[in-house]
Amino acid sequence: MQEDFTYVVLADDDEDDRLFFVEAFDELKIQTKVDVYKDGLELMDALNHPDAVLPNILFLDLNMPKKSGIECLIEIKSNKKFKDIAIAIYSTSASEEDIEDTFVQGANIYIKKPSDFNDLKKILSDVVTINWQYHTNALDKDNFLLRL
Amino acid sequence: MNLPLKFIARSERFLKIIFGASLFIVLVMGGVAYKYIKELSKSIDDVQHNYQVHIALERMASALKDAESGKRGFMISRDSTYLEPLLVSSSAFDNSLKDLEELTKNNPEQQKNIAELKIKVDKNIEIFQKTLELSTSNDFDSPEFIAAFREGRQTMNSVRFKINQMTAHENDVLSLAREISSKRLSNAPMLVYYVLILSLLILLLTYLQITKNLKILKEKNELLETFKKSTIQSEIISKHGNWIWHIEENIYEYSDNLYRLLGEEPQSFDPNLDNYLSFVHPDDVEKLMEHVEEMMENEDLPFIHYRIIQKNGAIKHFKAYAKLLVDSDGHKRLLGTTADITNEIENYRLIEKRNLELERSNKELSSFNYVASHDLQEPLRKIQTFLSRLEDKEKDKLSNSGKLYIERIKSSSSRMRSLIDDLLQFSRTNKSEEAFEESNLNILLETAKHDLAEIIGDKRARITSDSMPSMKVIPFQIKQLFLNLLSNSLKYSRENTPPAITITYSLTNASDLPKIKYSKFNTYHTITVQDNGIGFDQEYAEKIFILFNRLHNKNEYSGTGIGLSICKKIVDNHNGYITAVGDTNTGSTFTVYLPKT
Repeated sequence: MQEDFTYVVLADDDEDDRLFFVEAFDELKIQTKVDVYKDGLELMDALNHPDAVLPNILFLDLNMPKKSGIECLIEIKSNKKFKDIAIAIYSTSASEEDIEDTFVQGANIYIKKPSDFNDLKKILSDVVTINWQYHTNALDKDNFLLRL
Repeated sequence: MNLPLKFIARSERFLKIIFGASLFIVLVMGGVAYKYIKELSKSIDDVQHNYQVHIALERMASALKDAESGKRGFMISRDSTYLEPLLVSSSAFDNSLKDLEELTKNNPEQQKNIAELKIKVDKNIEIFQKTLELSTSNDFDSPEFIAAFREGRQTMNSVRFKINQMTAHENDVLSLAREISSKRLSNAPMLVYYVLILSLLILLLTYLQITKNLKILKEKNELLETFKKSTIQSEIISKHGNWIWHIEENIYEYSDNLYRLLGEEPQSFDPNLDNYLSFVHPDDVEKLMEHVEEMMENEDLPFIHYRIIQKNGAIKHFKAYAKLLVDSDGHKRLLGTTADITNEIENYRLIEKRNLELERSNKELSSFNYVASHDLQEPLRKIQTFLSRLEDKEKDKLSNSGKLYIERIKSSSSRMRSLIDDLLQFSRTNKSEEAFEESNLNILLETAKHDLAEIIGDKRARITSDSMPSMKVIPFQIKQLFLNLLSNSLKYSRENTPPAITITYSLTNASDLPKIKYSKFNTYHTITVQDNGIGFDQEYAEKIFILFNRLHNKNEYSGTGIGLSICKKIVDNHNGYITAVGDTNTGSTFTVYLPKT
C-alpha cells in the first residue's frame, strides 16, 4: 500500500449513490483510489481475500441486501486484521437507534447522505482529510454524527 | 361495637359471682336454721325432762303423804285397810327413785340429792315401821312411841324439804337453760329478716343485669340480622357466595347465592363435596381438590381459579379463597368465599384482544415511520442530488423557462423534504416514562436558541426570558417545544419590525387554569412565549394545533402546519396544557402549563 493516496471503499446497494460517490471523488481531485461494492457480502469477500489491500476509510451503507452494514461493522470490528480501517457509516436514515447502534459497535463517524451534490463533495473531502488518530481519541456521541 | 359484647362478658362474670354469693347465703341460712331448730328442740326436751322430774318428785311426795295418812288412819281406826297405801308406797318409792336416777343421770347435783333423799326415805320407812309396830301394841302413851312419832314427822318433813329442794333445783336448771336458749334465739328473726332483704337485693340486681344483657343481645341480634341481609345483598351484587366446611363433622353450609352462582335454586341440593364437584369442570377437579387439601394445612393461600359447568351447559369462571378457622374448642372450620368472575375474564380477554390489535396497528405505524424515514427520503434525496448535478453541469444549456422549472422543482422537493422531516418528528414524539429526567429548562431554551442562531441574527430578533426552575421532563422534547415556539414566532413576524419574543415563567394553581375543571395536579409551571408578530384571529386559537392546519397561504409564509401540532403532542406527553391567544395587532401568546410534581 502506497502512502501518497488514500484508499477509499464504499459498500452500497444503490447504483445512483455509488455513481454520486465516485463522481464526487473524481471532481475533488484529492489523491484517492475508490472502490465500490454492491452489497455487504461482496465487500467482506474482498476484504477477507488473502491478497486484499485494506482501505484507509470504509464507507458503509446500512440497508443492504445479503449482508447489512451493521453486520459488516460487527464482523470487521471483531477481526484484529482490520483494526486500522476507519469506518464511516453512510446512510439515508439518521434515526437515533441506527446512530446509537453503530456508535456502540465502534464505527468512527456517521454520515447522513446529503441531498445536494456540492454538500456531498464537501463531506467526502472533510472525511478523507480527517486526522483519524485525533478524531477517534476524542470521539463521543455528540461529534459522532457529522454535521455540515 | 365491641364494647357491649365486652360488657356482656364482664356481666357474665358478675352473674357468676352473684350466683356463688347466693349459694353461699342459702347454705349459711340453712346452717343457721338447722342450728335454731336444734336449739328449739333441745329446749323442748329440757322442759319435758323437767316436767318428768317434777312428776316423779310429786309422786314420791304424794306416796309419802298417802303412807302417813294411812298410818294415822290405822292408828285411829285399827282398820288394816288403811295400811294398803303403805304397802303400795314402798314399791312406789323405789320406782320413783329409779325413775329419778334415770332422769337425772346427767346432773351430778341431783344425783347427790337423790342419794340423800334415798337415805332419808329409807330412814323414814324404817321409823314408819317402828311406829307402826309400837301402835300395834297399843302403847300410844309410851315415851318410845312419842319419840318415834316425832322422829317420823321430822324425817317426813326432811324428806319433803329435800323434795322441795330438788324441785327448786330442777326449776333453776330449767330457767337457766331457757335463759340461754332464749338469748340464742332472740337474734333469729332479725337475722332471717336481713338475709331475706339481702336475697331480694341480689335477686333485683340479677334481674337488672339480665335485662340489660338481654337488651344488648337483642340489639346485637338486630345488627346481625342487618349484616346478614347486607351480606346476602352484597353476595348477589358482587356475584359471590360463601360456604363453611365443618371439617371434623364433614358438614357443609352453602349460602343461597352460591347455589345461584351454580345456576340452581337456593338450597336445592345437599351441600356436600360430591354434589359440588359434579358442577366443577372435569379438567379443574384435580386442581381444586389439591388446593382444598392445602387449605387445611396452610394459613394463607392465594386465590384459586377454576371453572364450573351449569346444568344448562354454560361455563362460568370461579375464583375462590378459604381460610382455616380453629375456634376456642379446637373445632376446625374452613371459611370460604367463591366469586363468579366470568365477566371479568371476558372483559380481560376483550382487552387483551384490543391490546393485540393496538400492538399490531402500532407495528404498522412504526413500519410506516420507517417507510417515511427511509424509503420516501431516498428517492427525494436522489431527485434533489440529480437536480443539483443538472444545475451545476447543464444550467447554461437551458432556456429561461427551463431554469424556472428547475427552480420550481427545487422548491417543491425541498418543501416535500421539510414535510417528511416534520412528520417524522411528529411521529417520533412519543411518551416513554424512562425518558423523563430532571432537566434545567434554561439550558434547553439556550440550545433551542442556538439552533435558531442564524435566523435570529438575520431578523435581528430580541429574545428575553425569565429564569426557569429544573423540572422532570423529556429533555429533547422540551427543547423541541422551545424550538418550535420560537421558530413559529420568528416565522410569523411583522415585516420591517424586528421580532421581540418574551418568555416568562410563573406558577399557577390548577383552579385558576382556564377551561380545566378537573386536574390531577395542584400547581402548574406556566411558561409564556409572547411575540410582537402578525398574530392570528382568536377564532383559530384551537385550530392551529391541529395537524396540517395552516392559517396562511404557503406562499406567504413557509411552514408545514406540523410544528404547533408537535408542540401540543409534547405538552400532552407531559400531562400539560397549551393555549394560544392571538391578536392581529399585537401578536400572539402561547402559554404552556406543565404539572408541578
